[in-house]
Amino acid sequence: MKINILKEIIEKKNSKAEFAIVTNLKDGNSEIFEKGKKLSKNFENHKDQIESFFKLKKNGVIENTEIFVETYIRPIKVIIVGAVHIAQYLVDFAKSLNFEISIIDPRGYFASEQRFPDIKIINKWPEEAFKEIETNENSALIALTHDPKIDDPALQHALNKKFYYIGALGSKKTHENRCQRLKEAGFSDDQINSIHGPIGIKLGGRSAPEIALSIIAQLVSETYNK
Amino acid sequence: MKNSFDEKILEEASDWLKANQKVVLATVIQTWGSSPRQVGSRMIVNEKGDFSGSVSGGCVESAVVRECMGLIKDNKPCKKIEFKVSNESAWEVGLACGGEIAVYLEQVN
Repeated sequence: MKINILKEIIEKKNSKAEFAIVTNLKDGNSEIFEKGKKLSKNFENHKDQIESFFKLKKNGVIENTEIFVETYIRPIKVIIVGAVHIAQYLVDFAKSLNFEISIIDPRGYFASEQRFPDIKIINKWPEEAFKEIETNENSALIALTHDPKIDDPALQHALNKKFYYIGALGSKKTHENRCQRLKEAGFSDDQINSIHGPIGIKLGGRSAPEIALSIIAQLVSETYNK
Repeated sequence: MKNSFDEKILEEASDWLKANQKVVLATVIQTWGSSPRQVGSRMIVNEKGDFSGSVSGGCVESAVVRECMGLIKDNKPCKKIEFKVSNESAWEVGLACGGEIAVYLEQVN
């Protein structure tokens, strides 16, 4: 692999692009493929198969050829509402995971850069903050404030946009009240039951890093359940 | 399909190159049976035999390191190697899990 290809791959990853690397195993020549991009002469004979791998997000050697295709998918957008202590550990645990984290918290003293270096922090109420983040059914929401004023609008947004994972921190009682409010706001039982509340798998721990670990475990598990 | 990991091996390769080390990229390109790591899994090796990442669960990494160092020594651009089930003799290189993998080695330069 040429150094400039390596550099290009890293740039593409950083820009959250969707792309594939195609390599001719015979001579080691490789290039980057993106939707709509024309392949060079080395690979144009295998255009259809390369596009099919790209579409199916598949990695592997194209049958009866010496062409290897590796696809890169966009990181999963994870929106954390509440720049609280647990969120700091979530950011730590997510470092080697394919999650692109944004944190929403209207409370400036929580959502400071000093507490969350290198993380996108939106210091606004959820209704405003979600105008700055494009979300869809491949997004995840972790609501951590257990304050209805802040969590509820975010949960409503996530339900409307059909996020594949929605979790909300709080005791069983807190969650019952939350469900009741969402019901009154017009959400169906199926929608409400899709929320993981209380959030996280049962680990037993009650400290901030342990709760963060249980949330990350549930998020990864739900990522592969879909 | 979604995946929830990003091992940042290529980023590490870039750091090694910036530090003037030679780098061979080893990538799992094919698997058969129950192999420990999926296609696309990577490790990097430098001329001294330092390595990062993995192509198996620790079963064949030592052989991959040797092959990568050989590639640098012989100044070859690339090579494909295959690993099959190991027999019972200890330390023999192979996959105890019963799987088979093909690993592609390429110099980054």
